[in-house]
Amino acid sequence: MAKLTVDDLKKIKERVLMEDQFRSGQKRAKITVHMGTCGIASGARDIMDALLDELAQNNVSDVLVTTSGCIGICSREPLVTIEEQGKEPIVYEYLTQAKMRQIFRQHILGGKIQSEFVMARGREQDGRGGDR
Amino acid sequence: MKVFRAHILVCGGTGCKATGSEVIHPALVQEVARRGLSKEVLIVETGCNGFCAAGPIMVVYPEGVFYQKVAVADVPEIIEEHIVKGRPVERLMYHEPVTEKPIPHIHDIPFFGKQVLIALKNRGLIDAEKIDEYIARDGYLGAAKALFEMTPEKVIAEMTTSGLRGRGGGGFPTGMKWSFARKAEGDVKYILCNADEGDPGAFMDRSLLEADPHAVLEGMIIAGYAIGARHGYIYCRAEYPLAIKRLNIAIDQARDYGLLGENILGSSYSLDIDIYQGAGAFVCGEETALMASIEGKRGMPRPRPPFPAQKGLWGKPSVLNNVETFANVPQIIIKGGDWFASMGTKTSKGTKVFALTGAINNVGLVEVPMGTPIGDIIFDIGGGIPDGKQFKAAQLGGPSGGCVPASGLNTPTDYEEISKLGAIMGSGGLIVMDEDTCMVDTARFFMEFCQEESCGKCTPCREGTKRMLEILERICHGEGQHGDIEMLEELAASIKDSALCGLGQTAPNPVLSTLRYFRHEYEAHIYDKKCPACVCSGMFKSPCQHGCPIEMDIPGYIALVRANRLDDAYRLMKRTNPFPAVCGRICPQFCAAKCRRSQLDESMAIAWLKRYVTDNARRPRVEPAPVTRTEKIAVIGAGPAGLTAAQDLAKRGYQVTVFEELPFAGGMLRYGIPEYRLSRTVIQAEVDDIVALGVELKTGCRVGRDIDFAQLKADYDCIVLATGAHKSWTLDVEGENLAGVWGAAEFLREVNLGKQAKVGNMVAVIGGGNTAIDAARTAIRLGARDVTILYRREKKDMPAWANEIEAAEAEGVKIECLVNPVKFTGTAGKLTGIVCQRMRLGEFDKSGRRKAVPVEGSQFTLAVDSAIPAISQSGDMSFIPAEAAVQMTKNGTFALVPKAKTATTAAGIFAAGDAVLGPATVVEAIAMGHQAAGEVDGFIREKNSEPPYKAPPEEPIAIPFEVDKEPRVTPRGKMPELTQQERIASFKEVELGYPADIAWAEACRCQRCDGCEHE
Repeated sequence: MAKLTVDDLKKIKERVLMEDQFRSGQKRAKITVHMGTCGIASGARDIMDALLDELAQNNVSDVLVTTSGCIGICSREPLVTIEEQGKEPIVYEYLTQAKMRQIFRQHILGGKIQSEFVMARGREQDGRGGDR
Repeated sequence: MKVFRAHILVCGGTGCKATGSEVIHPALVQEVARRGLSKEVLIVETGCNGFCAAGPIMVVYPEGVFYQKVAVADVPEIIEEHIVKGRPVERLMYHEPVTEKPIPHIHDIPFFGKQVLIALKNRGLIDAEKIDEYIARDGYLGAAKALFEMTPEKVIAEMTTSGLRGRGGGGFPTGMKWSFARKAEGDVKYILCNADEGDPGAFMDRSLLEADPHAVLEGMIIAGYAIGARHGYIYCRAEYPLAIKRLNIAIDQARDYGLLGENILGSSYSLDIDIYQGAGAFVCGEETALMASIEGKRGMPRPRPPFPAQKGLWGKPSVLNNVETFANVPQIIIKGGDWFASMGTKTSKGTKVFALTGAINNVGLVEVPMGTPIGDIIFDIGGGIPDGKQFKAAQLGGPSGGCVPASGLNTPTDYEEISKLGAIMGSGGLIVMDEDTCMVDTARFFMEFCQEESCGKCTPCREGTKRMLEILERICHGEGQHGDIEMLEELAASIKDSALCGLGQTAPNPVLSTLRYFRHEYEAHIYDKKCPACVCSGMFKSPCQHGCPIEMDIPGYIALVRANRLDDAYRLMKRTNPFPAVCGRICPQFCAAKCRRSQLDESMAIAWLKRYVTDNARRPRVEPAPVTRTEKIAVIGAGPAGLTAAQDLAKRGYQVTVFEELPFAGGMLRYGIPEYRLSRTVIQAEVDDIVALGVELKTGCRVGRDIDFAQLKADYDCIVLATGAHKSWTLDVEGENLAGVWGAAEFLREVNLGKQAKVGNMVAVIGGGNTAIDAARTAIRLGARDVTILYRREKKDMPAWANEIEAAEAEGVKIECLVNPVKFTGTAGKLTGIVCQRMRLGEFDKSGRRKAVPVEGSQFTLAVDSAIPAISQSGDMSFIPAEAAVQMTKNGTFALVPKAKTATTAAGIFAAGDAVLGPATVVEAIAMGHQAAGEVDGFIREKNSEPPYKAPPEEPIAIPFEVDKEPRVTPRGKMPELTQQERIASFKEVELGYPADIAWAEACRCQRCDGCEHE
């Protein structure tokens, strides 16, 4: 790999923003499973397994699945964030495999937010915190 | 009957009145009349809709349209549009969330809304294993800026401007540390990252490394550039496998991109970073030990100076910073030191990450601006303590730190302010402890940790911590001795002075800080052999029995209920409690608060089982106790404390006379607690048992009026003062002498004396304790139309029991919180209203609750014709002459001799119950009665040079041991109660007592923590 220059950093930033399959619209939804040690200890791997299984079973290819670290509120793990094009992100809490499957069927496929499992909507850093 | 085409219901609840519905009602009437609609539209005032937040509210029928926050100015529009034209006014309508419950925005959740993220800015947003995602969020731009636009000196200057201090706990200014290393001579220098996070309860570094490893690498590049290092190490403990995995991936990717290695980003600066895995020794978090460990030596500290900035790793100038410190660096370089320094306090800038754990609702990682009060972190962000338990303390800084008690909750997170409390900022572990935590046990835990982690190099730490631990273990086993506390303090002082490194020097801190704030817990362990939190299980058979002030054998009588041996259960209870039937109804149940069954489902219904026994067991006939002694004892006051003392003294062979001013014995049981909670026949039966022992009871005889105190002193050898607290506190506001204002104690006494107490139609009770609830429920039964409790804090802060509050509300009592009376108003000497003020919650008070502070300009008047202040009570001590030399406390209670349980400052005069404690509980009064009898007897025997009293052997009661092998989740047995209509029409006991089947099932829920059969 060629060594980067400062300009390359900016190019990578632009490329990531452009090529991001969710941001560029190639995928209609993005599901982030939060997998810090706390999440994993609470069962995030099982949640991921259930999610991948649902994707395969339903032949879904327009949804991006990714992982990330702890969002801070470890006592409500496992947590999953679902982003859909043009909508506010939704954070689900206290997940189980069964809940994850229901959310996949009802929210991702059916468009109905499963409000009883939701912790919050929105993204923590939007216009706040470190970005201000 | 007249038919109206429309009804307008205006809420007349206190909440809506406070927000202005009182003026809306007449405005509506006027407007309807003006339009000639009075015959078509009926305007009705209703009770509270429970939707006070949106008040004033009104509902218009037949459509049932709900209007909120209506102002007088809206009235013509509502009449014109809705009533005349039939078009509901959209803008005032309240819309129910139709299908889904509303989803809060993440910023509206206090946990997230109050945080400010710098070190954690990428948390939850990026895939930690993809460098591009980090770069896309401006990653490595800070490094680029430093390498190409700034000299190393400029970088250091920026860090100095930022005011960033070491986040590992020491709080040393980062810029200064770097400048020392920069100035140090030598070509080879090292930049080191301390990821040897080892404090119990701390997980900031782990989480940061897992979520955003590149932020740490970038911080190290900038730091390395600033000091001139070409090589760096991250010292991370091996038990963080995920963090190490992600760090390795991050390092590989950074090397691949040329962000590590030769000529970073094409600059002339080169740096490579390696991970060194630590084996998990706590001492390796100390900088010199950490460096020794990297060098391959045993991880032991060495004396400083020389400091690592001069001679560090392999004798070369080195800078060691913590993970969180490095994660802040790129942001400071990008946004400038001034930006960072704009947050925080004078000496502590920026933000701090805390790991919140322990007895707290939101366990997790939080980043807050420096200066945020500790209480805000715990109660707003952390969501407070689970299960309604009380906050006790927060441990900051792990084993090197100290605890912050309730009185320190307003302390800002600031290095200097926190050290004033005897704690330290530390790396950010914040362990919250509730009332169920024993502070001696906590100190023992941390001392055990330090002792195990001591590297053994220096004697003070190796031996000193061992000796301190031995003492603490002894205390926790109930084997504490006089002098232990002093020995702990002495050892602590010498370890602090002489240990080699930070680990040893700070190891005594948890002991010193718990001693500073919770010395009474140490004393209770050592002198009373009591663990107040019921944690140190070496000291007791079962937590419930230990938590009971009179140590009733609770598992014992519950086992006897299960075995259906109620007569034996009754006898067992009577051994320690002369008032089991009373306690079966109104005991505050300190026992149940410690019941381990609550960890499975709900705590045991201990009092209700006690009542079941007393309702159903045969009561043995009480024979007079033989009078074997010549001394005579006078007891003043026939409440639970006085009668218990009288019983015990009679059993010990004394002649006892009890003087009681009121017509019947029972004290507050009879004249304070209403009959619907405690039947008079129940009290009388237990009083009769005591009289049957031979105790002489003189009712209707007030000492100081009917008999002189001096006479009593002459006639009796000892006197027990158990006169209670029967005088209500006044509010000290204008108009309190108006007719219609009376104290709750006086009001309840009047009712319980059987006099026709006349209560008004509109009653306000002021206060939040059980007495306030008693007064309110009594007023309802006397026929008051509208009873409102005014409480200055929030409902969850009310000291009254939850089931009492619930029962009061079920009977129609309204509770208005965050309200405080400022003035009573009246005409012709009679009360007509209370001017109240809305309150809001401000800083924390000493009890750990938020203080209620007035909201400016929020005064409103409540129309009432009776007002009952029920804020607290004190005793009427006017019966006792100054010559008696009985000293009082500044609270107006009897003062006791140091270390005594009941002895007053006058020889031969003892005091017990509310007269000493202030308004307390029946079981505490009984406990003091027992203690008073013991001390009176001891006093007399000592004077006569007699040996101490030995209780005669009691007839043994065999306690069986039977428990369910597989306990299943079973809720507490429900208490049958009178119906709503039956209740408010009379003073009959509301609770009817358990039937046999429920009682048996309830008894089977006991898990028998006592663990065995016994006598």
